Amino acid sequence: MNNLAQAVWVETLKFRRSKMPPLTLLGFLLIPLMGGFFMIILKDPEFARRVGLISAKAQLVAGTADWPTFLNLLAQAVAIGGIILFGFIGSWVFGREYSDRTVKDLLALPTSRSAIVLAKFVVVMGWSVVATAVIYFVGLALGTAVGLPSVPDEVFWQGTITIVISAILTISLVAPIAFIASVGRGYLAPLGAAILVIFLAQIIAIVGYGEYFPWAVPALYSQGSPIGPVSFLLVFLTGLAGMAGTFLWWELADQTK
Amino acid sequence: MGPAIETNHLVKRYGKVTAVDGLSLQVERGEIYAFLGLNGAGKTTTIRMLLGMVRPSAGEAYVLGKKIRLGEKKPWASVGYLVETADAYPELTVRQNLEAMRRLHPNVEPKAVDRVIEQLGLAIYANRRAGTLSHGNAQRLGVAKALLHSPELLILDEPANGLDPAGIVEMRNLLFKLTREQGMTVFMSSHILGEVSRLAQRIGIIHEGRLVQELDVADLEHNRWQRLLIRARDSQAACAILQGAGFPTKMTATGAIAVEETAAIERPDEIATRLVNAGNAPTMLVTEQENLEDYFLRLIGLNGKNAS
Repeated sequence: MNNLAQAVWVETLKFRRSKMPPLTLLGFLLIPLMGGFFMIILKDPEFARRVGLISAKAQLVAGTADWPTFLNLLAQAVAIGGIILFGFIGSWVFGREYSDRTVKDLLALPTSRSAIVLAKFVVVMGWSVVATAVIYFVGLALGTAVGLPSVPDEVFWQGTITIVISAILTISLVAPIAFIASVGRGYLAPLGAAILVIFLAQIIAIVGYGEYFPWAVPALYSQGSPIGPVSFLLVFLTGLAGMAGTFLWWELADQTK
Repeated sequence: MGPAIETNHLVKRYGKVTAVDGLSLQVERGEIYAFLGLNGAGKTTTIRMLLGMVRPSAGEAYVLGKKIRLGEKKPWASVGYLVETADAYPELTVRQNLEAMRRLHPNVEPKAVDRVIEQLGLAIYANRRAGTLSHGNAQRLGVAKALLHSPELLILDEPANGLDPAGIVEMRNLLFKLTREQGMTVFMSSHILGEVSRLAQRIGIIHEGRLVQELDVADLEHNRWQRLLIRARDSQAACAILQGAGFPTKMTATGAIAVEETAAIERPDEIATRLVNAGNAPTMLVTEQENLEDYFLRLIGLNGKNAS
């Protein structure tokens, strides 16, 4: 895996100069903003009705305006929205080389293809971690601004850990998206796949087998559903398979684009 | 030191389609070798096999003495290439594209970026985003990326693609200079014989995946057919005189008499003397050589005649 540091530098440059950082940041910001919006409503529904934030007829789902509810809302948003947002980053970083027909310039270099693929994963996962941090810290600021009642540290940290684990699970599932971007030679196929797995995850979770479908696991975990170690294992094996598939594809497949 | 490129019975099949069919060629170090063929002849597939992007169905390829296959040490630190179209990251500037490529070549000095910008005449575009470049300048950028690490071997797929006539001359001069001054080997594909005949020392012609002929540029003169074109006031009488002297004649579409006999082509003065002595002096006597395009089409069997 020679010249990995330079490959990471190059991938970071390409990512940084693209429209991806502002676009995805906007997507990430929506999550805590929506969470904050719900907290305002839940805190004082009558006020929300009076000022027109919600319709007079709106039936609010059960929930209270407190830190555990808010942090759990963020964790669920990371678990479900992350599959789309992190998948979007993975689709672009891998798929753009095919869509822009630049992949051929990366295949016969003294820097190995494995180093280039790994550098891409570093950027995708790095930016996904940044995204989660943005969601978390903006969430904290909004929660404080809304004036959520303080809770014992233990409760607060539990919510934080749920967000972190939800993010790790969701980020693990980006690797198969990168594989689809490589095999599909572009970013449309992986984006379609990300939407499809979310759709399937909903259905499979409804029929009760969600814990065995990797893309349903982060959402189930974030909602506090009882899932066993098999579910976590399935997520990591799916991530590993996606990563191995991507490396093998770049090394072995005929590259004709 | 062996040849820069060597392929032995290289084959690439995609399902039932055979893109490259038993290709064996050898490119010597320091020479400019042109790989000529129509679109879809198998040029790009061959180049991709040489660069390890596509695995051969059969046969083998060696580049700078190294066999191109999985697990072997590759010679890419000494190879520069441009495959198919010259593409770059549109959101990066010309300089950033080159800098990115430089960093993927370990041990290449930062000043190499300035050198290739200068070499390819890209200075005024250096800070412009690659996505806004004209086709010709994008092509220059593609070649600049290939030259960043001063490779021993340059593999270029249609390097003149998109260049205007001045750009083509510049590119030709640059490639001449690289081979003469730096001893670089150039393997370039093209579909225009006239263009490569001014540049290459050797030409390999590929058609439908097969190498139909390999020749030195010097041989181009001998291999192209010639004919003597004659006009006279009385064409029929002139034909009769020539046929009487043992020279079969044909009439061209424009009404000229064509003689393809070698004796006539080599001694047009004798033909003139015969016609003058017979009282039918020629009004035009010219030796016509088959143009390069016709020669190429004849060679690959697209004009109904077989190559000699």
